Amino acid sequence: MKKEEAQKLVRNALAQGRHVLLEPEAKALVSAWGIQVPTSVRIKGVDDVAEALKAVTPPLVLKVVSQDIIHKRDVGGVITGIDDREELSKALREMKGTLAEKAPAARLEGFLLEEMIPAGIELIIGGVRDPQFGPAVMFGTGGFAVELVKDVSFRLAPLSRAEVFAMMKEVKSYPLLTGFRGSKPVDLEKLASTVLKLSEVLLELEAIKELEINPLLVCDVGAVAVDARVVLQ
Amino acid sequence: MTTGRDISFFFSPATIALVGASPTPGKPSHVILESLKRIGYPGALYPVNPKYSAIDGLKCYSSLTEINRDIDVAIFALPAPTVIVIMERTDNVKGAIIVSAGFKETGAAGTKLEAELKEIGERKGIRIIGPNCMGIYDTVSQVDTFFTPEGRVRRPKRGVLSILTQSGSFAELIMDEMASEGIGVARIVSYGNRVDVGETDCLNFLTDDAATKVVAIYMESVDDGRRFVEVASRCTKKKPVVAVKVGKREAGIHAARSHTGAISGRYEIYRAAFKKAGIVEVNGYEGLKDACKVLNTYDLVEGNRVLIVTDGGGVGVSMADACEDFGLTVSELSEETRKRLSAKLLGFSATGNPIDLTGSVTDEDYVTALKEGLQDDFDIVIITVLWGAPEITEELTDRLKEVRDSYNKPLLICTPNSEFTRRMAQRFEENGMPVFFTPESAARAAAVLASGPLAVSLARKNEERRSAKART
Repeated sequence: MKKEEAQKLVRNALAQGRHVLLEPEAKALVSAWGIQVPTSVRIKGVDDVAEALKAVTPPLVLKVVSQDIIHKRDVGGVITGIDDREELSKALREMKGTLAEKAPAARLEGFLLEEMIPAGIELIIGGVRDPQFGPAVMFGTGGFAVELVKDVSFRLAPLSRAEVFAMMKEVKSYPLLTGFRGSKPVDLEKLASTVLKLSEVLLELEAIKELEINPLLVCDVGAVAVDARVVLQ
Repeated sequence: MTTGRDISFFFSPATIALVGASPTPGKPSHVILESLKRIGYPGALYPVNPKYSAIDGLKCYSSLTEINRDIDVAIFALPAPTVIVIMERTDNVKGAIIVSAGFKETGAAGTKLEAELKEIGERKGIRIIGPNCMGIYDTVSQVDTFFTPEGRVRRPKRGVLSILTQSGSFAELIMDEMASEGIGVARIVSYGNRVDVGETDCLNFLTDDAATKVVAIYMESVDDGRRFVEVASRCTKKKPVVAVKVGKREAGIHAARSHTGAISGRYEIYRAAFKKAGIVEVNGYEGLKDACKVLNTYDLVEGNRVLIVTDGGGVGVSMADACEDFGLTVSELSEETRKRLSAKLLGFSATGNPIDLTGSVTDEDYVTALKEGLQDDFDIVIITVLWGAPEITEELTDRLKEVRDSYNKPLLICTPNSEFTRRMAQRFEENGMPVFFTPESAARAAAVLASGPLAVSLARKNEERRSAKART
């Protein structure tokens, strides 16, 4: 996707009265700035399964797409480890059933079928637009417990490469990135450039109030935005 | 916006009018008159009050216009509604310092008055400090608009540190403490409700102010975040700026729908802004006071290695702990240095870091420990003197200064805060060595010297230089 299309995507969402982008939209947006996202295909339901499997290689993860669901996992909106057509059809049925029970009022806008990313270090990168200081970027330890541990560092955008490195070093889990107890050190340059790209998105799209990639999975294939969230002003 | 414009006349006024001057001792406006006289304000001083023809031997004017010349600074010590009336009639004033309360801080009626005040200032081009502030204490231009009597709040002598604060009570507190500890200041500005002049304009002025070598900011909020960061970035390239942000509990900036939004309370954003601008952030009142003390004497250093010399094992250990807590490095002495120390010091001195000279210490031992210890690579020295050792003398204060001067390393003193030691503390201070009364306080101050992006970039440069050397 090109940057102009991303702009358009934001305008369309606002025109529809939506202030939160759907996950596929948010991912398309960040990937327009060169941030790595998993290969994926959006499907409506079981009828699309055969076609969808031509576009992605298992193992796969299935996620619900809904503007009404913030925490997908909590309502059974994420199923991982899908290896073939049969499992996918089964997962779809199962997910629809759980959602009907746990989030009956949520509008379902289809499903996202993504290639699974190999295990790695879970980070969070994000940004907010402060009324006084303007855009600020966050880097930290990711995953579900981020609000609990708050192992994060903030800097005002625009960021320099040196500032990104300083942010990374401020976070307690920094040693995990440089190789901890025999683990392989991650590509810090690549990681830094991902943070810089996120900072650019925030600077260029003024309609964005909050932007978050959590987790940003850092593994052999790079720094991949496994989930992305965009809140508009 | 009237911000961008020059406010330097506030810091070198040739003429001051005191509007609402009173001959009654104890009244704020009378205290201000006394303050200006006591500090020896050298310019023309005009009391203004239609009720009197003279106050304290000065001719008193019925109105500002009667003075019939341009007034650089008019100090207003009058009820809020009267301030508005007089401001409206004024056309020969460049800047107003409005110490009066009764504005925004009092509710709806005061908020309305404050809006009127702002409008009048903008329309007439009068720059305003305040309202609801203490104004300026300036040892350079010899101006003191504080309405607290000197007998209650002491005034510091001249120094190189300038302090910016919204809070007038903070200004009083720190100036009193600095005065009693012999620490000097250049200029202090309390801008209260900040209807016009705030930290950004002041910082902009202080950046180019030759009398100010260090700036300290006590910050509740900021007037224009982005501009503040720009101005501060320019300032920190020239001189250290240290800041404390109070009101950290202030809630998040909006109803967040992401983790990032949930975590990014105002304080986190302030921290990010300080870092962006190269400001050294400290924690709380104590942190700022310690920073003011140490930065008034020393520049930031390149690294964070601390040498501790002590005459008491316990205090040495707690100093080492405190240093580690504040992110400083208390590295071991080299083998050669230890050997030299052992040869020159008494047998039972501990030649680690801390170097513990024990209660049998003499003045000479301190000098030896310092000279030998500094053969190793240290950036900062902290000396603790408990003064209990019978063989050390009052001369120690001068001997340490000599060593400090010849080695050109920041030397901080930690000593107990009691009757005799306080007198010694004063001697140290007179010799230009800042004194701290607890290990935590000394370590915190040392950490300020070693902190900050300025120091970080210095350290990086140094490292590059070293590795370049190693390669050749």
